[in-house]
Amino acid sequence: MAEIPKPKVGFYGFTGCGGDLLTILHCEDELLDIFNAVDIRSFLMASSDVHDDEELDIAFVEGSITTDHQLESLKGIRKRSKVLVAIGSCACFGGPQAARLGYGDWEERFKKVYGEVKHTVARPRESYPLDEYVKVDCCIPGCPIDKHQFFFALTRLAKGMPVELTTFPVCAECKWNENECLLLKGELCLGPVTAGGCNSRCPNHGLPCIGCWGPTKEANVASEISLLKERNFSSEEIINKLRLFGGAAMVRRFADLLGIKTEEPAGKPRQKKARKPVAAGKAKKKTASKSPKAKSGRKR
Amino acid sequence: MSLNRIKIESLARVEGHGGITVNFKDGKLSKVTVDIYEGPRLLETIAVGRIPSEVVSLTCRICAICTISHRYASLRAMEKALEIEIPPKVHLMRELMHCGEMIESNALHVFLLALPDYLGYPSAVHMVPDHAEDVQAGLRVKKFGVKLMELTSARPIHGENPVIGGFGKYPSKAELLRFKYEAESLIPDAERGVEILRNLRQPTYMEEGMTFMCIKPEHDRYGWVGDRILVSTGEEFNAWDYRKLTNERVVPHSMAKRSRFQDKPYFVGALARFNLLGERLDGAAGEHFRRCYNLSWIRNPMYNNVAQAIEIVWALEEVPRIVDKLVAYEEDPEIVAPSRDRGAGSAAVEAPRGTLYHHYEIADGKVIHADIVTPTAQFLDMMEEHIRVAAENLVKEGDTEGVELKLEMIARAYDPCISCSTHLVKVRGLDK
Repeated sequence: MAEIPKPKVGFYGFTGCGGDLLTILHCEDELLDIFNAVDIRSFLMASSDVHDDEELDIAFVEGSITTDHQLESLKGIRKRSKVLVAIGSCACFGGPQAARLGYGDWEERFKKVYGEVKHTVARPRESYPLDEYVKVDCCIPGCPIDKHQFFFALTRLAKGMPVELTTFPVCAECKWNENECLLLKGELCLGPVTAGGCNSRCPNHGLPCIGCWGPTKEANVASEISLLKERNFSSEEIINKLRLFGGAAMVRRFADLLGIKTEEPAGKPRQKKARKPVAAGKAKKKTASKSPKAKSGRKR
Repeated sequence: MSLNRIKIESLARVEGHGGITVNFKDGKLSKVTVDIYEGPRLLETIAVGRIPSEVVSLTCRICAICTISHRYASLRAMEKALEIEIPPKVHLMRELMHCGEMIESNALHVFLLALPDYLGYPSAVHMVPDHAEDVQAGLRVKKFGVKLMELTSARPIHGENPVIGGFGKYPSKAELLRFKYEAESLIPDAERGVEILRNLRQPTYMEEGMTFMCIKPEHDRYGWVGDRILVSTGEEFNAWDYRKLTNERVVPHSMAKRSRFQDKPYFVGALARFNLLGERLDGAAGEHFRRCYNLSWIRNPMYNNVAQAIEIVWALEEVPRIVDKLVAYEEDPEIVAPSRDRGAGSAAVEAPRGTLYHHYEIADGKVIHADIVTPTAQFLDMMEEHIRVAAENLVKEGDTEGVELKLEMIARAYDPCISCSTHLVKVRGLDK
């Protein structure tokens, strides 16, 4: 029988903590199997054996885009990959570094941190998730990702099959785990609106969900906000919590609810193809060419 | 052979994105830079205006490999600021989670990232056909560290269980004892790493005297947490005076800030800890230290790999001692609430790759200022210096074959964490 060629896979990291790639390196029992099951062409964090000009079947990309150079690399990866998978909250939503997206204060904040020094190594820009710039075929959320979801995605994709990850919120897992409801105890828990898949780890430990997997597909943020307000949390507290890991998803989907006036942010990246502005994602109507960030079709 | 420039675009087998550039002019070395092109995150500006618990969840996300150290340092700093006294059981649990990270991070670096260089492979996976046992031993030890982090912090990376004032939930006695016995059983695997490294010849072309710094533990044993900082010049500082030690500045070729002490580069990490506190190592780790230590340890950063390998042995011996004390407590303490909503606090802990400082100022229950100085930001200047000396010596001796790998090995010996170094936190003081 003719041997089926192993799918060619690349692992890449942009701006983030490295936690999603590290989650893969933390699969000690499966690590050697993974390296055997697929043909890993690039995994700079683990190996200096790198082939970065080849066609790939699957590219796994961690981190958000915060420099021009990264944007070029991302486009290159997209061009030579059949399937591009965003792994982790930074790649999917922009990460905690995108918690102020839409406020238009990026340039000012950059100066606060680095002063007036002109960097020669990288042209920085505000943090955006991968799908702001290229087509993303699959998103594995998490801060960091869960290794079982990664195995699931890898094995499905390696066989050319579609990947459907959890569609229910943390709240559902929490109930299956028979935890005492923290919302009812008066704590600011984001379980009802956060993507499940972590097995409700924080509530299992008696701690409220901080929303680190980003909003779930059918998140009812409006109801969560009114529920929390009934329990005497201020709008500021609620918005701070929702935005810490919600990144671009919050701006695109819930700008009105969160009072984000989506002004054109400073240092805003340009995009060639303008997309349709989405009503909920835009407070003001602008011409399509000026609002590349808004998008309606994509949920994640 | 004439050289104009040696350029290593992307350092492999390190966390984050950095490179090395060595420039020559008229056949002479003119400039060495360790370039850090990790993208900026400005997490510092995200921290301001948030409540302390959110900032603890945020700052640990600076880095996945040092997540526990970041969390530990931020918890200590916040508790100082908010005047929280934590019970002894919480102390012990934190020591245990810290051991987990040291075992995980050091094992990852020693076995999977550094060892392939010495043995001539591009990665640990490529080593498997010839050195399966060594790789497996490393993976076993690393896996134990990861599991210990999961046990104590609720997740291998960015676990939220350690909170200001205590822990959400404590592991059962049975679980703790299982970890105790497993730690004991893994000591031979860790010792295997020490033996391999001890028998390898360490390159010497980069040797150059160093200043070392590390935390002085509060007790008289070896340890990683305290409020005093030891310097190899014989001086001692309070941890809250860390700015006198680190003197940060911004340079154009790096998204990470740089540090110097008394205008000299300095080293932090396992090698610094062993040079300053090695005599305190007890048990099998102490024996290995005395057998391996030599005078090159004060000049040669490659011995950081050996020091890390021995530190794994010490941490594995420490786990049973901590577990024995932990299981003596019948009750799980409640999370201690803050006694005030304003204040300032600085704290230091040893991350696997060196001393890490967190400093916060809080008013009306919100963080108004945050400052974090990471180990990698502190040692990048020292790394540049060692790479410069190595490049000079190798070119002088005409030994330029594979010079890139030789320079990269020096960088890797430091076990840099580039995400960390780049995303350090500082807001005030720059508003000029």
